[in-house]
Amino acid sequence: MRSLLDVRHMSVDFTTDQGIVHAVRDVSFQVGEHEVLGIVGESGSGKSQTMYSVMGLLARNGHMCEGEITFNGHDLTRSHYANRQDYRKMMWDLRGNEISMIFQDPMTFLNPVLPVGKQLMEPLFNHMKISRAEARAKAIELMAQVGIPSPEKRLRQYPHEFSGGMRQRIIIAIALACSPKLIIADEPTTALDVTIQAQVLELIQEMTQKAGSSVIMITHDLGMVARICDRIAIMYGGKIVETGSDEEIFYEPKHPYTKGLLSCVHNPEKDEEELHPIPGSPPDLLKPPAGCPFVDRCEQAMRICKVRMPGETEYSKTHRCACWLGERLRREAVK
Amino acid sequence: MKSGDAKPILQIDHLKVWFEARNGLFQKKQYIKAVDDVSFDVYRGETFGLVGESGCGKSTLGRTIVRINHPTAGEIRYDGVSVMSLKGEDEKAFRKRVQMIFQDPYASLNPRMTAGEIIREPMIVHGTHGSAKEQESRVAELLETVGLKPDHIRRYPHEFSGGQRQRISIARTLALDPEFIICDEPISALDVSIQAQVINLLKQIQEQLGISYLFIAHDMSMVKHISDRIGVMYLGHMMEIGESNDLYHHPMHPYTKALLSAVPIPDPRIAKTRQRVLLEGEIPSPLNPPGGCPFSTRCVRATEICRKECPVLRDVGGRLVACHEPEER
Repeated sequence: MRSLLDVRHMSVDFTTDQGIVHAVRDVSFQVGEHEVLGIVGESGSGKSQTMYSVMGLLARNGHMCEGEITFNGHDLTRSHYANRQDYRKMMWDLRGNEISMIFQDPMTFLNPVLPVGKQLMEPLFNHMKISRAEARAKAIELMAQVGIPSPEKRLRQYPHEFSGGMRQRIIIAIALACSPKLIIADEPTTALDVTIQAQVLELIQEMTQKAGSSVIMITHDLGMVARICDRIAIMYGGKIVETGSDEEIFYEPKHPYTKGLLSCVHNPEKDEEELHPIPGSPPDLLKPPAGCPFVDRCEQAMRICKVRMPGETEYSKTHRCACWLGERLRREAVK
Repeated sequence: MKSGDAKPILQIDHLKVWFEARNGLFQKKQYIKAVDDVSFDVYRGETFGLVGESGCGKSTLGRTIVRINHPTAGEIRYDGVSVMSLKGEDEKAFRKRVQMIFQDPYASLNPRMTAGEIIREPMIVHGTHGSAKEQESRVAELLETVGLKPDHIRRYPHEFSGGQRQRISIARTLALDPEFIICDEPISALDVSIQAQVINLLKQIQEQLGISYLFIAHDMSMVKHISDRIGVMYLGHMMEIGESNDLYHHPMHPYTKALLSAVPIPDPRIAKTRQRVLLEGEIPSPLNPPGGCPFSTRCVRATEICRKECPVLRDVGGRLVACHEPEER
């Protein structure tokens, strides 16, 4: 599989009043064509900032201090551009056209003082040579595709006239307007009710399959990941601790954090299952631990875990895990 | 299941909570029927889970029990006594016995008080646990119960993480040795690994102290895990009540069935293959709910009678269902 997005050794720092927060630390991953990658992590694990950095949407106080990003032959690494204008122009052409993003909260993403039709047509005007009438027709078609009833009428309505689920549908329509190659969905269903969540998820799946887009799904919801992702990356404390196919992560997890995460969610299909929470709380990224970020909460922590970050152990072509336990087992096997 | 032998501690009887809504000064008065004719019982030592989507009235119901909201009609009886008629000392005693944990641990703790002061406040208000010194030692004991360290007593809420704050709220509700705790979405603001910690803590407290819970949430999988019985609400109506495992595996109301099939399952083989009942459309506005069964606009099985007549909750083989034609078990 050809990789569409290739992120190598990316680190993102934020300058705050309390000091420098190392939100993302040496993260590498690839997304193939037509692939759905899930990035799973709890709040503060750096999953969203990783993707904001790819999109060039980091907040002012944040910057990508290390790493390289390549997307479909384009170099997205900001530091490789001597001129800031060149980078901005390149990203301007790409965003909404080849990469687009679906955000968590539809109300903050949509402009409250513009009718949704205008907002839907904006990416079309920006990236295509298209007449007004054509854009309007395309917008109506998009709205019908995402399941909004009477699109001709609703085109003229404002975001506040729509319900949460409908707003998220509009955002999906905007994101898909130019049939992008990659869609980054940042917790697209967290703000919605369960039955609406299921509808929206189904829609994202259906629409992206039709358009042949790859998807990066950022979430903390393991149930959602199990349902739609081909491959999963687990993030913790600004690092990717394990990546693998959906079955590898769910049925043969290697990292103690992944195992812990799986045993703290309740699988309602099984009765009388005990929950085994992970004790403690995530590390403070103002002063991240020198070794493995999970060391303070890990039951199997060894001395080396405190001092040095483990390298990645490869279990299969797709399955990699950064843990000293795996490394130790591998060395013993070699001996 | 502890309901067979015991007598109900909380009885909700045809409760209605309506809110007045008026668009303009001269417009006709309208009512938002947040809770409309809901009845159920909670037994001693039991956990009753209340699930439903946003706007179904589950939180309003919880808040009405502790008298934050006023019922329009109906009756709430706690230990046989009508809650609404309580006055003076009786009311104070009731408030001591029934406590509430709120959803947002960031909004429900006073930022200007230390954790110790927050936990001690109910004891001061109710004048329990003797002298200041005894109260202090009770605070230390409670901190230990909820798994916080003794030196946390002098810290302020902003110095704690979300999970720790929720522990402080739990300690505060336990301060008066309540018999009944209403948990209004106590875990939805927390991270997955912390959610499990709080759920286990609630379970452990129940085992030790025999407290009853009314557990309000929208996350069906967690509710199933913690509850003995579950009630499913939709648009202010109670749709189905049943024993939790039984309800999960054999839902009889079409809405329960749809709600359950929307629950994400953390297992790729099941999640990718299972059959889903996808609901069409969205929850109607509670300002003008559909006539007849509130679910009739989205129900695949709806017939003529469903649009005309609102079904009442009736006993079908031990399960309470409000549906004209419930599914086979």
